[in-house]
Amino acid sequence: MPRYQATLLIELKEGILDPQGRAVEGVLKGLGHPVEGVRVGKVLEVVFQAENLLQAEEKAKAMGKLLANPVMEVFTLEALKELS
Amino acid sequence: MKWAIVRFPGSNCDEDTRFALTKAGLRAEYVWHTETSLKGFDGVFLPGGFSYGDYLRAGALAAKSPVMAEVARFAREGRPVIGVCNGFQVLTEAGLLPGALLANLNLHFTCKEVGVRVERTDLPFTRLYQKGQVLRLPIAHAEGRYYADPETLERLEGEGQVVFRYAPLRGEGDYNPNGSLNDIAGIVNEKGNVLGMMPHPERAVDEVLGGTDGLPLFLGLVEEVAR
Repeated sequence: MPRYQATLLIELKEGILDPQGRAVEGVLKGLGHPVEGVRVGKVLEVVFQAENLLQAEEKAKAMGKLLANPVMEVFTLEALKELS
Repeated sequence: MKWAIVRFPGSNCDEDTRFALTKAGLRAEYVWHTETSLKGFDGVFLPGGFSYGDYLRAGALAAKSPVMAEVARFAREGRPVIGVCNGFQVLTEAGLLPGALLANLNLHFTCKEVGVRVERTDLPFTRLYQKGQVLRLPIAHAEGRYYADPETLERLEGEGQVVFRYAPLRGEGDYNPNGSLNDIAGIVNEKGNVLGMMPHPERAVDEVLGGTDGLPLFLGLVEEVAR
């Protein structure tokens, strides 16, 4: 069965205060970078097997749904590629 | 009455919890998180700690443990379920309590005594307290900022599901230790049988430990059975 690598991005929803992002923002500003905002999220790279690309996408989305907390997070399937 | 204390990899308040339950006259046994049955138990306690090292999100991976299907059954059947600190995080991640616990506003791991006001006393967990009584309880967490969307928050307040709220101990103004919405420190589900709270009542059951304000919570569980 073909192997795939999915890149899942988990971010805090818009409007949810992100103190981690604020701390990073403060440091960047302190170093002279005029940033307007920073949000910190998570990237998960998942390697798995699937019959085909369509099934791989379904599986990747199911895993993203399982791992993100819908109360305060959203997930995006950033990338999906077949591994050789 | 026999309580199950669920141990996840990284639980660290399990022994304190057993000490508190036993002191109140209840029987308690540890249950490993891979168990699939809680047969023979009357209540289940999810203790504090750092299950799975807080990886992904505090409580997120523990919430997917095999034993959680049984915890969900207890919740559904109206049996008592208590989650303290990491246990509260596990209950929200499992969807057994609404909302979520986010990183403290100041990003610090905060370990100190706080004031906790009792908002309702018609629950087994709080029946031995006075309404409005301010307890002195320790907190120890980095992710305790209670968050829920505005509709959920309104429903919680409307239904009286907020059981504990941070309150001044000595008139201090900055009594909310983590930025929790509405100063929320603990909530119950709609039925009132699932309690989640960030402060640690099990760490306040003996004068040697600095206070006994947590003991009535455990004694209240005994009274519940006797009724």
